[in-house]
This record gives sequence, C-alpha cells and structure tokens, in this order.
Amino acid sequence: MNTEIAKMRNIGISAHIDSGKTTLTERILFYCKKIHKIHEVKGRDGVGATMDSMDLERERGITIASATTNVTWNDHSINIIDTPGHVDFTIEVERSLRVLDSAVLVLCSVGGVQSQTITVDRQLRRYNVPFIAFINKLDRVGANPFKVRDQIVDKLGHNAVLLQIPIGTEDGFKGVVDLISMKALYFDGCDGEIVRAEPVPVELKADALKTREALLDAASMFSDELMEAVLESRASEAMIHAALRKGTIARKLMPVFIGSAYRNKGIQPLLDGVVRYLPNPSEVENRALDLDHEGVERVLAADPSAKTVALAFKVEEGPYGQLTYIRIYQGSLSKGDELVNTRSGQKIKVGRLVRMHADNMADIQGAECGDIVALFGVDCASGDTFSSPGLNLAMTPIYVPDPVISLAIEPVDNAAADRVAKALNRFTKEDPTFRTYTDPESNQTIIQGMGELHLDVYVERMKREYRAEVKTGMPQVAYREAISQRVAFDYTHKKQTGGAGQYARVIGHMEPLPKGAYEFVNEVKGGRIPREFIPSCDKGFKAVLKKGPLIGFPVIGIRIVLNDGQYHPVDSSDIAFQTAAQGAFRQVYMKAKPQILEPIMKVSVEGPSEFAGNVFATISQRRGMIVSSVEDGMLARVDAEVPLSEMFGYSSVLRSLTQGKAEFTMEFLRYGRVPPHVAELLTEQHLEKQRKAAQR
Amino acid sequence: MALTVKEELIKRSPLRLLEKSISGGLGRGNIGVLASRKGVGKTACLVHIAADKLLQGQHVIHVSYASRVDHIISWYEDIFKEIAKRPGMKSAVEVSGELIRNRVIMNFKQEGTRTEQVLRSLEAMIVHGQFGAETIIVDGLDFGQSGPEELAKFKGFAARLGLEVWFSASLRGDEPLFDERGIPFALKNHLGSIDVLISLQHHGDHVHFNLIKDHERLAPKDMRLKLDPKTLLIARDASRPS
Repeated sequence: MNTEIAKMRNIGISAHIDSGKTTLTERILFYCKKIHKIHEVKGRDGVGATMDSMDLERERGITIASATTNVTWNDHSINIIDTPGHVDFTIEVERSLRVLDSAVLVLCSVGGVQSQTITVDRQLRRYNVPFIAFINKLDRVGANPFKVRDQIVDKLGHNAVLLQIPIGTEDGFKGVVDLISMKALYFDGCDGEIVRAEPVPVELKADALKTREALLDAASMFSDELMEAVLESRASEAMIHAALRKGTIARKLMPVFIGSAYRNKGIQPLLDGVVRYLPNPSEVENRALDLDHEGVERVLAADPSAKTVALAFKVEEGPYGQLTYIRIYQGSLSKGDELVNTRSGQKIKVGRLVRMHADNMADIQGAECGDIVALFGVDCASGDTFSSPGLNLAMTPIYVPDPVISLAIEPVDNAAADRVAKALNRFTKEDPTFRTYTDPESNQTIIQGMGELHLDVYVERMKREYRAEVKTGMPQVAYREAISQRVAFDYTHKKQTGGAGQYARVIGHMEPLPKGAYEFVNEVKGGRIPREFIPSCDKGFKAVLKKGPLIGFPVIGIRIVLNDGQYHPVDSSDIAFQTAAQGAFRQVYMKAKPQILEPIMKVSVEGPSEFAGNVFATISQRRGMIVSSVEDGMLARVDAEVPLSEMFGYSSVLRSLTQGKAEFTMEFLRYGRVPPHVAELLTEQHLEKQRKAAQR
Repeated sequence: MALTVKEELIKRSPLRLLEKSISGGLGRGNIGVLASRKGVGKTACLVHIAADKLLQGQHVIHVSYASRVDHIISWYEDIFKEIAKRPGMKSAVEVSGELIRNRVIMNFKQEGTRTEQVLRSLEAMIVHGQFGAETIIVDGLDFGQSGPEELAKFKGFAARLGLEVWFSASLRGDEPLFDERGIPFALKNHLGSIDVLISLQHHGDHVHFNLIKDHERLAPKDMRLKLDPKTLLIARDASRPS
C-alpha cells in the first residue's frame, strides 16, 4: 500500500505510568479494525493487550519495548509507536520521538499532570514534536477534566484548549459534547463502535457555549478569517479545524480531547483529531548531517522521487533474524534497492520489506518517504542511517545517556554461559543504554544500565527467552573521580637499557573543569615538544583518566594544560610521550585533592498527602535532599535529590510504607561529591580489591 | 582575626539594620508580617530574609500558597547571583549549591487546604524529614479569607517548635488601607498574634519600610530601609535622616 504523504501520520502515544496508554492503543486498533477483539492489560482472558508483545510485559502489566503498528482511519494511514512509560526505559521513548512527527499525550483525569508527564513533555519539547492531549479515565471517581486542563496550562505552560466537555462524570459518564459541531456524542454497541450524534442536553448548553467561546478565542489567534467569521457569527467547522491545525503544528495551541478508553468512549473523535490537527510528514522539517561537507546540516526533501535517506531507529532479534525498524525521510524504498549504511560504509540490498502490526507483519513491495516500515535480514545497529549510493548523509545521532548502574552476573552453569552471551549480544544491539563488559580484575561479566528496574528486566528476559539463569551481585553505582585543586606537573620519562631508548618530558598543569568531562589544551611554544607528539600526550592523558587512581573509576571534570617539555631527537617517540603523560598524571594526582563523585538522581514521589511524612523520612534516611513538596488537596508530590547508591530497593520500601498508594520515578541529574565517610569506605574497598587481585 | 568574605557579607547586610530596629530580631516563637499592596515587593523581601538566614547556615522552609515551585527557585537563584557578584565570593553555582541544601520549598493550594494540614506537613518535614528548620517563610496566605484563629495556630506552632515565622500579607481594596497608627485595617483582628508588623509603601519612586509593631510596642517608625528596584534586595536608605 502506498499512501500519498498528505494522508500519512506518524504518532506516538506518551503518558505517565498507568494513565491507560496501552488500553487506549488497544481501542484504536480495534476501531481501525486491525484487531477483532479487545483484550485488557492484565486481562482476565489471559491474552493481554495486543501491543505488549513480550510475556514479561503482559505479566507486569507494563509496556517496555516500543512496538510499532500501522492503522487506517478515514482513508489516512497512521503509524503508531507505543512508547514505554517508565523512566528506566527512557531511551526507548527518546528513540521513538526522534522518528515521530507528532504525539498524543495521555493524562489521567484524576492524577492529572504527574512527574512522568513532565518528563515526556520535556522530551516532546526537545524534539519539537506537536501534540494533542487525551484526558482519559473520565469514569473514575474524582475525575475532573477541567482541573487537568488547568494543570496542563499551569504546570506545562501549554495553551491547552478543550474541544469537548463531558456528559456526566465518574459512574455517570455517558459521552462528550463536541464543541465544534455542538453535538452530543454517545458511543453505542457492545464495544462503543457506533457513534451516535444527538442535540446537546439542555442542562449542558450554557457550559458548552462558554467553553466553545474560549475555544473560538484561542483558535482565532491563528486565522484572521476565523476571527472575522466569529465576530459575524458565521464560523464554519472547516474554518475552526483549519485554525486549530495551524496552532497545533506550530506548537502554540494544544487541543484537548476527553474520554474513557476502558469504557470505549471518546476514541473515535480522538482519531478524527489525529487526522485533522496533527501534521503529515511533509509538514515537519527534518535535517541530516552531510558527512562529505564536515557535517553541515541539510534539510531533507519529503519527495518520493528524491534519493533515499532512512534511519534505523530500532533493531530486534527475532526468530527469523534481525528485524530493523526504519523511518524513511527522503525518497522511497522498494524491494531490491541498494542502500549504503553511512556509518560502516557497508552496502545492503533491500530484501523483505514489511509493515508492522505489534507481533504480526504484512509483506509490502515498497514504501515512500514519511513512512515507518521494517527490513528483514539487514545487519546494522540502532541509530544507523541508510542512504542511496552517492549520498553521504547521517541523521542526527539520537541522544544516548551514559549508564549509571552496573551489576555483576554469573551464569549458574556452563550451558547457561553460552546462552547468556547470546542474550547479551542481542540486548546490547537493541538497547544502546544497556551495555556489558568483562571486568578484567574479577573476570566477572558486568551489565550496565539506567536503573535497577532496567537491569532487572534484562535479567528476567535472559531467563525467559534464553533459559539462561544467572546469579546477580549487588548493584554497583557508576562512581566518578574529579580533582578539586589546580596542580602543576613536570615529569620526565627516561629509559635507556639497551636498544632504542625512550625519552620525553612534559610540563604543565591540571585544574578542575566544573562543566564538562575532559579538555586538553596545548600551549607549547617554540617546538619544545614537536607537533607530532602533542596528540600522543593527549592520548596518554585520556588513557590514564579511564581508571582513576583513587577507586578505579573514570576521572571527569578535568582540564589539562601542556605548556612546556623536552624531547630527544632519537629517543623520543609516540609511546614515550604517552607514557610521560601518564606518569605526570599519576605523580601529581593525589596533590590535586581528588574527590569521589556519585550519581545523584532526581527523584519524584507522588501519592496521597497523608503519607508525606513517611516520604520525607525515607528521603532523609537516604542522604537525600528534599527540594520541594507540593500538596494539592489530597495528593502530594515530593521532589528530591538522592544519591543512586541509596535508592536500591526503594520501590518495595515505598510500597509497604504507603500500602502501594504512592509511586516514584527517578532519572539521572548530575554527579555530586560523596560525603567523607562514604569516600573512606569506597577507598578501602578498592584497596582491598587490589590486594586480592595482587595475591591471585 | 580577619573576617571571611561570608562573615563580612553577613555583618554588612542591611538586614542587620532591620534586626536592630526590631529589638535585635524577630526572635524564636514569634510571627513577623510584611504587609503591602500586591506587586510592591513582599516576596522579594521574604526571599532576601531567607537567603540571609541560609547564608548564616540556618535551615529555612519556604511555604508558598501561590507561586509555582520553579518560580520560587528562580527568586532564590537571582539573589544567589547577587551574592556571588561580591568580590571574593565563590561562583553563583557554588553559592547556590551550598545554600539550597538547607532550603525546602513547600507548596500548598489556597482553596481547601486547612491550616492544620499545613502545620502537620511542616512538622512532618522537621521531625520525620529531619530538617532542622529555624525560620519559616510563608508567602501568599490570604489573610482576608482566614480568620485570626488561623494565624493564632501558626503562632502556637512557632512557639512550640521555637521557630521564627515571616509572613507576607497582601492588602486589597480602596484607600485608606491603614489607620492613623499605620495598622492595616485588614490585619487589625490578627494583631494579637503578630509580633512584628512592617508595611511596605511607595514613596515617590522608592519602596520604604515602616515599622508598625515592634513586639510589645505600637509606634510607627521609618526604618530607613528601601527596596532596591534593580536588584530587588532590601537596602539602606541613605537619603533619609537618621
């Protein structure tokens, strides 16, 4: 199926945990006739929602990997990326956002704007993604869409405009009043599939008119034609839609829909909204870096006849080999086409091309720019760009954060060891925030990731999908070292024991660099160190910084200035200067008063305000700093900064303290200095480890 | 022994002058109120008072009924930037990094939040959160809506936990706002719980501080302080006779 670009939409569905995102996706698939039966998340029928393709997700009732699916609504082709809600899996969200043109933000009509909503909003902002909002769960006790709309305005700073008002709430939620057509919409049939339009109930008329007026005021800002028409009371539906679309795409207005996915109400109008207000791929500007011209940015042409540029944004290892999800930005793609992977320079031939629907797929012959499809049997990593031969473009790299936590794993037996290796190979390819290496000192396999839950899920998946059982150690925090004082160095490396000698002398200083990891400044004048050996010094410093002398973690926040030195016409060499740099660093490092840094997490706890005291206590017991607490009626939210090393097991502590009524999210904030007693402990542990290694 | 830059900064702060004119300071267990029309600069003054306490190593809880947390944070950031401008002080990042450890912001919604709930949360923060607050700033409490008994509850709380509590009070309505002794009509009923009452008033292009109540004494007095319109900090007013 080839669709003209104006009738294409690439949307993501983003939300806070438990806002009903997966349920909503399920309903969308159902109304678009992709599936014939509705399954619930944690369903009693034991099948689970269609988008959660992994067993583990079904069991935990959460969505982890983003599955993409294609549906058709009103003659429009919509690609939906289901994105995970938990912060530990944010890389998935970020990757999806990169390839989306727009999004639907799902909010709970009771919880409103929650911590994760704020995170997601920030990400949408970073990628400049326009979106519409859906206030879900109007059937729940305490539902108040007006309050949530106000929160979107106050807390997120969006120009949120209600396009509908509810007919009844909580148990009595019956349908919605569409403020543009001024009709009451009810959702009949056993699954709400029949939309019935009726006159607006008399008792809601005044409210509807008032809210409509606000809507018209907001929309008029984007269309002079509409503004005039409103003044003359002749505003047509088409005019209003056009103005809303303009405001939405400019990210200056946010249409707000309401409903209850679980009760099958309000989904079809939301789909109309996706088609009406969200941009098609040609309305979004995309850029790529031209590698032939020092990475100058080029705007891509949403033209099917142009040369092809596509981004592999997700790879999955499946039973039939690697499945690569790609977004085509420019040109088109057909079976048999030849493409070049601009990272590796490798040529590939497009073999099987498929369109994805959660777990199932349909073979297609070709696809055009704007579309999201999947390739079979191509070997590449996620983030790679494919382009037609002759083009050397790379899509902007997707931002990948460094892992903050690591865990030692040990296969229970030899048979498991092979399977563990296989599993790790696949996971690291799929998820760039998940890394693995072998610790040369302990010879253990270490896995690294973005949080405890992140690693838990992979350990669990090893067991389930690869029958690879592992024992795990204590989670280990990714510490850093940093100097706190400027210190000068003058070091000579000299070796003259038969054969060619080695000689190099480096002079300069190192100082703290508050922002940034490492900077090397060359101020050597008059050829005191020949130019060809300057990079050798840089290389030597870089190498020694990887393992700090204090506790063996990387040294960050350091500027090294080289301003003098000496060489020997015969004995100086690349390696001599590298060794000299390392020697200089080791010699003066301790004089620079090095400190140990630990990852500090931004922690956000939400729950009933009666538990605020308990939450305060848990934060202060964990060396945390409470930044703020916000109480809004019955609900409280506490924002704090807590060292990651103190957060292990926090979810179960919080659950038992609050009877499961509070939840928390966390993400990496910055590196902070560890207190002296912890530093002492870490230094001792490091020395102990070294002693043991020496004895072996 | 020579004073450090920080000690010097504390010693020379115009807030020492403020303390001097109110018999050495507000004092623990007491309630102070800054009253003025909206938009005159009460929040700026409260944040300055808080920043001065933080600089002295004290712990401060900033309670707000109105502003968003990020707005309050940026009020403080601005003051820290001013402090960091003084020669010899560390960078603004370091100043704020040290000081905010001792500050907690607590935000409450005005409607439907009862004073008991606010006090319960404050106590939870101090006791369970082990946050040894000495000073509490309360910004945006609607004195028009809450009766004198609400402020009395705060007073009892301050006395029990040994806290200094500074409020802002927004004055609304037609002139005159003050009676012949300078007492705002809106605060007359609350006067029993207020230990120090200061009004902020425009005089020409400056905002001046008038001391209305100083602990036991009710005698209007010009405090020879003004609000610097550029930095929004409390400053000495040299133009007025001592």
